[in-house]
Amino acid sequence: MPRASILVAFLTAAGAAQMLAPVVSAQAPSQSSEPAPLATGDAAARPWKRYPGWPTRDTASFNTLADQKLSPPAPSAPRKLEGPVTGDPAIGAELVADRTRGGSCLACHVMGQAGNADLPGNVGPDLSEIGNAGLKDEELFNFVYDARVYHAETIMPPWGTNGLFSDAEIGHIVAFLKTLTKPAMFPTEVDDPSKRPPPVETRDNLDDLVNPGLWTVEKAQQLWTTRGPVGFSCASCHDRAEDHFKTWAASMPKWEPRLDKVLGVEEFVYRHAQVATGLSWLMQSSENTAMSVYLRFLADGQEIHVDVTSPGAKQAYERGKALAAAKVGQLNFSCLDCHNPERGGLHWIRGQWLGEQRGQYDHFPTWRTSQQDIWDIRKRFQWCNVAVWANELPPDAKEYGDLELYLAVANAGLKLNVPGIRH
Amino acid sequence: MADKPRLKLPKQAKKGEIIQIKTLVQHPMETGLRKDPDGKLIPRKIINKFSCTLNGKPVFSADLEPAIAANPYLEFTAKVDESGTFKFTWVDDDGTVTTTEESITVS
Amino acid sequence: MKQVSRRDAVLMGVSAALYLTVSDAAFATPAEAAAEIDKFTGGTEPAQGNISIDLPEIAENGNTIPLNITVDAPMTAESYVSDVLVVADGNPNPALAKFHFTPLSGRAVAGTRIRLAGTENVIIVAKTSDGRLFTDRKQVKVTIGGCGG
Repeated sequence: MPRASILVAFLTAAGAAQMLAPVVSAQAPSQSSEPAPLATGDAAARPWKRYPGWPTRDTASFNTLADQKLSPPAPSAPRKLEGPVTGDPAIGAELVADRTRGGSCLACHVMGQAGNADLPGNVGPDLSEIGNAGLKDEELFNFVYDARVYHAETIMPPWGTNGLFSDAEIGHIVAFLKTLTKPAMFPTEVDDPSKRPPPVETRDNLDDLVNPGLWTVEKAQQLWTTRGPVGFSCASCHDRAEDHFKTWAASMPKWEPRLDKVLGVEEFVYRHAQVATGLSWLMQSSENTAMSVYLRFLADGQEIHVDVTSPGAKQAYERGKALAAAKVGQLNFSCLDCHNPERGGLHWIRGQWLGEQRGQYDHFPTWRTSQQDIWDIRKRFQWCNVAVWANELPPDAKEYGDLELYLAVANAGLKLNVPGIRH
Repeated sequence: MADKPRLKLPKQAKKGEIIQIKTLVQHPMETGLRKDPDGKLIPRKIINKFSCTLNGKPVFSADLEPAIAANPYLEFTAKVDESGTFKFTWVDDDGTVTTTEESITVS
Repeated sequence: MKQVSRRDAVLMGVSAALYLTVSDAAFATPAEAAAEIDKFTGGTEPAQGNISIDLPEIAENGNTIPLNITVDAPMTAESYVSDVLVVADGNPNPALAKFHFTPLSGRAVAGTRIRLAGTENVIIVAKTSDGRLFTDRKQVKVTIGGCGG
């Protein structure tokens, strides 16, 4: 049977691979300037299931990046309380350090010796002397319940409105806050978030004895010559990867008018390989990640420059910018709340440094020592969503594409350095 | 078992030179302290011993415990007085022995 | 739900990657670390110094913390650093590794990557072929994740 027939037979049998530009040649075409053929349909598993080992809570009643009309609205005025708040400061002391409810108050505030004050954060003000501030019980209560009634732009989660703490629990927290009357004493400089030196990544991420993420490049080099059901491998059209992909990844993600969405390297790899080889390297499969690392690795050292000149790309960028500011999840955080230096960016959340947007893209996919795994940017987006108690979207979600384009623009001019290695 | 030893050491050295050697093998270093989702303890499985010899003479060795990170990495030095062959050995809890060799020319 | 300790939380971070949960393992105490050291030294008190420990003051997680040690002592056939013990006083098991050197090692230096369950001390004890003992220690602060998972 000639190759073209095999191709057609496979595609018919598979039923899934509808193509945007059919490959009809019996010979593998050489890489041309024509738009690459791409499969349509989903590029990631459906129904999307959260990764094993991730928090299993379902926060479907709160905003996601796909729907920002779910969370309860901010109250229009402070709650009126009858009489003083009653609460047990000892219970309050435990609640402010409770990491099962969104990271704990200590993630953002120095609070004297609360929780043994082990590496507190400084996203929010130091509350060590809040008991001397002359605030009424009702004010303290409302600051915790929903601080938006005092500051519309606050990044503090609405602990009461969003059901993270009950009224009684907030009462205990208020009772504890009233006991805070002395400045925090830090045993060493690293305990003090205002003096703790920001981490500097010094590991050689391109040394295979340092970065296990680099091992995926070896896997991808094998995949490059692996023939799929269609009879072709990547090498059939792009014989030497290093000749063809010296710059390509630095221009991604890219607005794709044929699909009406932004494609990152990962989604492109799935869609193109599906059509061209018949291999189904869905996003978040180890093959997809390996190939995506490799294609960026080949463009390492190239400056990131993405196209936002076409009308479709411009609109996608604007949508991405809006998504970066969208409040999501039960904790009600936007990307900018944690990564804009005027908000939480360049501050400590507990013992972890919140980087700004610039510098958060050039090294992805990156090896994560905390996870012992390599993560692409979409998985990182998904994790940020789940970490702020929002349901994540599938990795090929259109919204993530828009956000990735926005992030790539914020990283324009930085040189690709993939795979990275981070905590 | 240990998979794919990775080594970094010079191919040539001067007599009496002290060279640096870096080694790593792919291995999960399962601690024996973790439970699977069904609550069953996952048995310990680590690389418990590493050794390096030059022409059969011991250069460096290590006894490793579960607190050594996954993909155990070791770096050390060797004083080379003669050309020959370094032999590197990793021993797994399950008894598997992984070895690899690398030659050096001393002038 | 059982109160989650800081150490459990750190280990859960480790295990999340492998889709598992940590067992209720007991953790070492400074006394157990001392007992491990006694086994190594035979009870003789090691002298402070002659060891440099390269460890980060602060580690963003406890999974893979680079540790490099150098013992400042001769490495000759007559006298050389023969063994180095690495222990941590807050891990489930205090012993981390033993390094064995010979005069062919050239220098008593070694590097590896270790797991620490939380903020704790790493203690190094070195023994020479002629029976001298040295020790030093360094604390590593293992950070607590901000988001809480």
